[in-house]
Amino acid sequence: MASLRAGWNIQVRVIKALMIRELTTRFGRENFGFLWMMVEPLMFASLVGVMWTVMRGPSERNGISTAAFVASGYIPLTLFRHVVSRAIGVFTANSSLMYHRQIKIIDFIFVRFLIEMIGAMMAFIFIGIVLWSLGLMPMPAEPAYLLIGWGLYCLFTFSLSLVLAPLSEYSEVLEKIIPVTTYVMIPFSGAFSMNSWLAPSVRGYFIYSPFVDAMEMIRYGIFGHLVTPIYDAMIPVYASLPFMVLGLILCRRIRRTLVVE
Amino acid sequence: MIICRHISKSYSIGHGRKQVLTGLDFTINRGERVGILGRNGAGKSTLIKLVGGVELPDSGQIERAMTTSWPLGFGGGFQGSLTGYDNARFIARIYGQDYRNMRDFIEEFTELGRQLKMPVKTYSSGMKARLAFALSLAIEFDCYLIDEVILVGDQDFQKKCHDEFFVKRGNRAMVLASHNPDTIRSYCSRAVVLDKGQGTVYNDIEEALSVYSAL
Repeated sequence: MASLRAGWNIQVRVIKALMIRELTTRFGRENFGFLWMMVEPLMFASLVGVMWTVMRGPSERNGISTAAFVASGYIPLTLFRHVVSRAIGVFTANSSLMYHRQIKIIDFIFVRFLIEMIGAMMAFIFIGIVLWSLGLMPMPAEPAYLLIGWGLYCLFTFSLSLVLAPLSEYSEVLEKIIPVTTYVMIPFSGAFSMNSWLAPSVRGYFIYSPFVDAMEMIRYGIFGHLVTPIYDAMIPVYASLPFMVLGLILCRRIRRTLVVE
Repeated sequence: MIICRHISKSYSIGHGRKQVLTGLDFTINRGERVGILGRNGAGKSTLIKLVGGVELPDSGQIERAMTTSWPLGFGGGFQGSLTGYDNARFIARIYGQDYRNMRDFIEEFTELGRQLKMPVKTYSSGMKARLAFALSLAIEFDCYLIDEVILVGDQDFQKKCHDEFFVKRGNRAMVLASHNPDTIRSYCSRAVVLDKGQGTVYNDIEEALSVYSAL
């Protein structure tokens, strides 16, 4: 028990130190500092929200405002795209950390994910408050669904980055095709429409996308009965498990051959 | 005590692999100073990295029953874009040390002055070595891994290092990689000579040095 606690303490210490280190290297100490981590998702969500409002009119179905709908879809999407792009080449960038044995390579994948996740959550809350005070977004109707949906989205994103990080070390081709892939998968991300708005013949396929399931839950959590969610909450879990196992195996293998300067 | 059992390490070079170490066995006892001798590219740094757990062996086991520093040398282990102080803060955090004590110690030991507020990538290799030594001395390890650099810097700094490592911490274990026979002769009680992937442990320093000079 005592050694378990000691191990836990070291783990917490390492994660904390790595977070502070990553934040200072990425954002510096000047002006906003670490608040920058929410600026990008925030700008994305608000600018796309404005653009869509102009292009598609101020409201989607059932009186949901376009701005609120776009913001709720775009923030998870930027989380995913950022986490994936930051996972690429993470080992080479951080190899000097291997000098300290208490730092494991999973730690820095996790820390990069954690920073993106916290940034996205801060952006989500911020934009939610702004839209709510403008009367464009309701208070979350079902907070539990919102949280679970968000958790599932994060879980799957993290599992995916656990696989992509070591793979990017094996192959440079991956590095080149990932931006295209993340772009092409936008329709399968559930960001821009509800499953129930799609033709019945394709709904059945979209439910197999873990992102769509999580997104449906997030939307139901925010808009409540204004939307009809179609999802299976277990699909993101089932999809995450094999990625996580594979990711851990790959990380272990890459650690054995990692060359540190 | 640190026990290395049959460790092998190779690196891929283009299409083939270069075997750097093959089935090396050796032990570092508490308080013992072991030298590593070898020509350039013989695998001294590799062996130090394996003992320090920075890189992992292809096969074999390394068992550590004492706290071991990271390999101290010309850099490595630092984040170049962060300042000396920020690196010190980071090291203090991950090793659970009090930062203020550490800061006072490195200011006094490194004599780098305002340079500590600059990113580490702007440091000369001698300055990096000073910082690395200072940080590791502030943490207090049972065993120090030193790669090549015991003789960097000016006379003053050499004397400081000598005092801190061999006088104040004379009871600590140490693994010292060097080209310099005099360094090994004056500090070590045993030595490993590396050549063509093979490592041989000599309990007699003079024997190790004569084998090394005949390479």
